[in-house]
This record gives sequence, structure tokens and C-alpha cells, in this order.
Amino acid sequence: MSFMDRLPGWGLFKGVSFGVVQMLRPKVTVQYPEEIVDISPHHRGRLLLLYDEFGTLKCETCFQCAAACPIECIDMGGVDTKNRFHVHWGPAEQYAERREESALRRSGRTVPDRSFSAWQGIDLAPLDAILTEEDHSPRKMLRILERTQETYGHLPVAAIQHISHKTGAWYSEIYGIATSYRQLRFQPVAAHELAVCRCTVCTLQGGGRVLAAFEAALGTGVEGVSPDGRVRLLTVDCGGESSGTGPRVLVDGVAQTRLTAERATEIAAHLRSGHLADSRPA
Amino acid sequence: MRILEPTQDWPSVLLARAGEAAEEPTLGRAEAAGGWASFRRAVTALSPDEVTRIVAESGLRGRGGAGYPTGRKWRACAQQPPSARFVVANGFEADPGAQLDRTLMERDPHAVLEGLALAAYAVGATQAYVAVKSSATLAARRLREAVQQAEEQGILGTRAIDGRVDLHVEIREVQGGFVVGEETVLLRALENKRAQPDQRPPYPTERGLFDRPTVVNNVETLAAVPWIVAHGAAAYAGLGVGGQSGTTLLQVSGAVQTPGIVEVPLGTALTEVLALAGSVEAPKAVLVGGPSGAFLPPDGSAVGLDPDRLGEAGAIWGSGTVLVADEHACIVDMASLMTRYLNDEACGKTIPCRIGLRRLAEIGDRFTSGRPRPTDRQLLDDLCADTRDAALCALESTATNPLLSGMRYFASEFEAHIVRGECPAGVCQPLRVAAGAAR
Repeated sequence: MSFMDRLPGWGLFKGVSFGVVQMLRPKVTVQYPEEIVDISPHHRGRLLLLYDEFGTLKCETCFQCAAACPIECIDMGGVDTKNRFHVHWGPAEQYAERREESALRRSGRTVPDRSFSAWQGIDLAPLDAILTEEDHSPRKMLRILERTQETYGHLPVAAIQHISHKTGAWYSEIYGIATSYRQLRFQPVAAHELAVCRCTVCTLQGGGRVLAAFEAALGTGVEGVSPDGRVRLLTVDCGGESSGTGPRVLVDGVAQTRLTAERATEIAAHLRSGHLADSRPA
Repeated sequence: MRILEPTQDWPSVLLARAGEAAEEPTLGRAEAAGGWASFRRAVTALSPDEVTRIVAESGLRGRGGAGYPTGRKWRACAQQPPSARFVVANGFEADPGAQLDRTLMERDPHAVLEGLALAAYAVGATQAYVAVKSSATLAARRLREAVQQAEEQGILGTRAIDGRVDLHVEIREVQGGFVVGEETVLLRALENKRAQPDQRPPYPTERGLFDRPTVVNNVETLAAVPWIVAHGAAAYAGLGVGGQSGTTLLQVSGAVQTPGIVEVPLGTALTEVLALAGSVEAPKAVLVGGPSGAFLPPDGSAVGLDPDRLGEAGAIWGSGTVLVADEHACIVDMASLMTRYLNDEACGKTIPCRIGLRRLAEIGDRFTSGRPRPTDRQLLDDLCADTRDAALCALESTATNPLLSGMRYFASEFEAHIVRGECPAGVCQPLRVAAGAAR
């Protein structure tokens, strides 16, 4: 404690003088839309990892960007250039969330979860052909996605990532388009397909109970796949043609007549256990 | 689906030139029956404003469900500042139980295209789209062939009909759920964007496809336009019943002897349509308008089939389907299942639609499973009002129809479910089955 600190009223003076000095200082707030701050020429805005023409990451994991980042939003990891050591920049992993799948993936480590298989590589040659035909254009995204699904049976994550890289559309944007259309799906092809019409004519004839029976027996909703991945539940349009024939239900493309909820439960159970022959109409 | 022969002396406009289902609708056959004559006459003798005026005077209203006057829509688009404009024919029949538009496009694609060309001429568009559901492969193929033939014969395309016409028609197969039939959603689908509706205003006539003025008309609306231009506005206005003009297609199914499609004058009484299809003696209810339609009581089935009077009765025109339910049907069960369907099909952009419809479906489930809560009826009313008020698109504003109309006209049946826990039709099994499984 210095001499000044012992002086009565010194603390008060210090506090008041600080306030007065701050008040007289020029303001540094920039009235953004009217004034624009002179930004460093190194500023690039969006964070992006670039790929070279051979498809490998250009990032050398030098951490210069992470070190320069003023708000420490860059948290990066990977292996060093000789592929020997795991290197990491950022706060130490002290929370459970940092050991989550996404955090592991970000830090370049292997993810033990099976669901990570969606990220595994696919043969991109057919996708590249599709993209070339569609001009790599984000304005033809729906067509690109539909054709990708025709080729791969579903939309693999790796394919969406590749489409994002090639067309320049954001991954989230593509994902948003894909989730909003019924016909686009992310799970691999199931062995069997059940399709139910949900129109009013079919509902009148008990289509709702058949659908509920399927949902209960398969453990999934409409447009979903049963947890064992064997059966997909879809919808089909009957166009009002089902008057008098019971709800329109297709079991692997075969139309059923006058299907009851009990029979629907049986069929779903048979399909899940692999006895397809029993599900055919007698 | 078969086309029913009217027993009465009803005029035929939309199906006047329609061939048999197996018959290929070639350009030569269409022209022999008077096809494309209106378009040729319009581009040589009439100005775009005159075409719009004829359509406006005819009183033609959109057949897509809302019933907006077509002439007014075209005028709104034509009055926009000069820029690229589009015309979109909405042939995406969202109702999975309807095939009116599909049948029309299959039987007479040239009428749809001629109406589309007239609309494009009236608003000054050079690019037009026909959106077809991708499952309607035959309709898409016949439309493509019709466009190709018309281009070869110099009716469509660049500098067609002595350089007077510059119109390119593209047939687009669109896949998607129920909500894609809504006009702004369809435009987003054509733009390859996420299938969600947009706030209106600005209406598509101001900012539509690619933010350009766009006219979106149902294919049934467009198919009537060539007839109107050929026969005059007054002739078309005289066809309807009770102040309505023109004819419309209806699809009748359910508890009838001959389900099918029939062309009736707009405003025809529902009873006449039911009699034509051979309805059961005493239908319990009539569902008009598809999945988001409303149940009408049999004693009220004398109501005229036009958007105005249906609106007064709490119903909608919707997809143009009429479903007859006999005494084996449970209205509560039907209404709650339809609400569940609409909830599954909702895009989720507005919260009252995304969450409110789910709550409505749950209330419906509680009714059918016989375990309603005391507050459910009040909650249902409030939720329906909120959902309608917040509606961004037609799906949301009409999604409350099944339950509301059921509560309005079949109160005793709801009462039986809610108060006594029994189902008069014997469909639901209240209290015996766990909630949710009794759907």
C-alpha cells in the first residue's frame, strides 16, 4: 500500500477522475451504416477451408489464423504435416460436449459411432457427371438432388458435401431443401417398402388405422425407416381410385385389397423378420 | 378415372374436346375440333387488354381452390412495371385423392396450353411453365408432345404466328407433398428452393417466380379461357347457376355407385351431383374439398357448389372433390385423421401451423380414444382461431376445416365421443384401446 492510498478521499478521487477522463475522451463507436471502418486487407469474412485441385485440404495446420483471430473463434485441430502427431489449438477439452461426435470430427480424430459411416467416402464419379450435366448450378439444386438420389439410392452426407463444394451453395441450404421435400431421403435403401395412401377416400375406408398399425409395427413414422433398416414406410397417391377396394396399400409395389389393421400388423412383422412370401396377397 | 355422362342438359366446356383416355391428343385432332383458333384470333385481332377484359367480364374465377377472379389477377400482373414476366399453370394436384387436373391434362393438353398461351399474351409473358406432379407421367408426356407439335406448327416458340408470338412453354415435373400445391410454394419449387410459402402481399402478380410478376393459374382455369375467347364473355357467364359463371370439374367418390369425374355448371346444387353419381339413399355426411375440406350435413347438401356459398357454409372449394360418407363412417375419426395428415404435411414455417396443428391432432386423438380433457373443446376453438389468423398459406388457413365443420354440423357425434365415450358408427374404440393406437 503506497502513501497515496492511505490519503483519505484518494479512492474517491481516483474513481471520479477516471469517469471524468473517460467522459472527455473522443468516442470510438462507429455509426456503422453511415461510417465504415477501414478493415484490414487480410480480412476475408467467412471461414472456409480451401481444397487444391487434387481434392486435398490446403490447410497446413499452421495455426496462424487461430493465433491471429481476435475473438478466438477458431478452434482447430488435425495431424501435423508429417501425419504423426495430433495437434490442437483452442481451449482444453474439459467438457463432455467436446468429446462429442462433432467435436471429435472437428479435431480430426476418428469417431467411433456407427452413424459416422454416413460421412465415409462414396464414389463421386457419377455425382460429378450429374453436376457437369446440371452446370454445377445451385439454381438446379432440386434436379441435382433428385438425380443424386436416383444414383445412390439416398442422399449420402458425403454427396451433399461434395455438391456444396462444387456448386458453392451452403451445406445448410442444400440440407434445408432436401429436408423440405418428401421424396428426398437420407437413409440408405431399405429391403422392403410399404406405401399407404392418405387421401380422404382411403381414410374413409380405414386407411388411418392401417397406417397406425404399420407405424406401430415398424416403430417409425411416414417416410421413415424401421430401426432395423429393413422396411421403409412411404405414401402413395391413389387419385381417388380406391373407392370400394379398401385403402390403397402397396407392399413392395404389390397392391393389396381390403387390408385390415390386423393384417397390416402381420405384414409389417413378416417384412421385418424377412419372410416376404407370407406378405403377398393370397 | 372415368368421366360420368351428365343426365341433365349440362354444358360442356372443359371436356368439350376431350378424347378418350387411350386416344393420343394430337395437334391435328385438336385443331379439327377448334383448338388453337382462339389463340390465333387473339394474337391477330385482339389486344392483350381486350383478352383480359373478355376474361374479366366472363366472371371466370380460379378453380385452384380460392376462387380469385382470373381477369383481375391478369390485370394486376399486366399493370406491373415492364420486366420479364411468367405464367405458371398449376397442374400439381396436391390432394392425393384427386385426379381432376391430371385427367384434364391427359385428355386435352392443347386446351391447357392454349389457355396458358392466351394468359401469357394477355400479361406479356414470354416464358411459361406447366407444373405437373411427377407421378402423372402420362399427362407430362402428352403435354410435352403437345408443346413440341405446337412449336413445329409455328404456334408457340420464337417468332411464331407471323412473328406475333414469342412464348416458350416448359413442362416441369414437380415432386413433393401436399403443401407444394400452394401457389407460392409451387413457385419456390420451380425456383429449386425450399418448399415453404411466402408472405402475401406482395402477391405473385407483383413478385412471383424469380421475383418477377407472375400469374399462377390452375390448369382447369386456363382450359376454360380458349372457350371464353371463342364464344364470348356473356356466353360463359350464362353457363353458371345462381350468379356464378362457367362450368367446373368435380370428382365424386366414396359411398357412391359410380365414382367419377363430371363437369357441372358452377353453383350446381350438391344433391344433383350426388344423384348423378348414384349416392347412397341417406348419406351421413359429404366432404367437399379434399383433405383440408369440410364436412357438410346431408340436409345441407342442397348448398350450391361454388366458392362463395361453400365459404358461407364453412367449407372450401379446395381440390374439387366430393366424398360421400355413409353411416359406417365416423366423422370424429375422419376429422382427426385428416388433421393429422395436414400436420404431417405442414412445412413448419409458422408456429401456429407447426405446433397448433399437432395439438389439434392430439385433441382429435383424445376424442376418438375417449379420454378428452374438460378444456379440450375451448382449446380447439382457440387454436383453430389462432391458426387461421396467423395463416401464411392456404394449407394453414384451411387445416382447421375438418374439425371445425365436424363440430359445427355433427355436434351430436362429437358429444357422444366426448361425453359418453362411445362411437355411434362403431369405428373408434374409445377407452378400450390406449390413446394414440385407436387412430
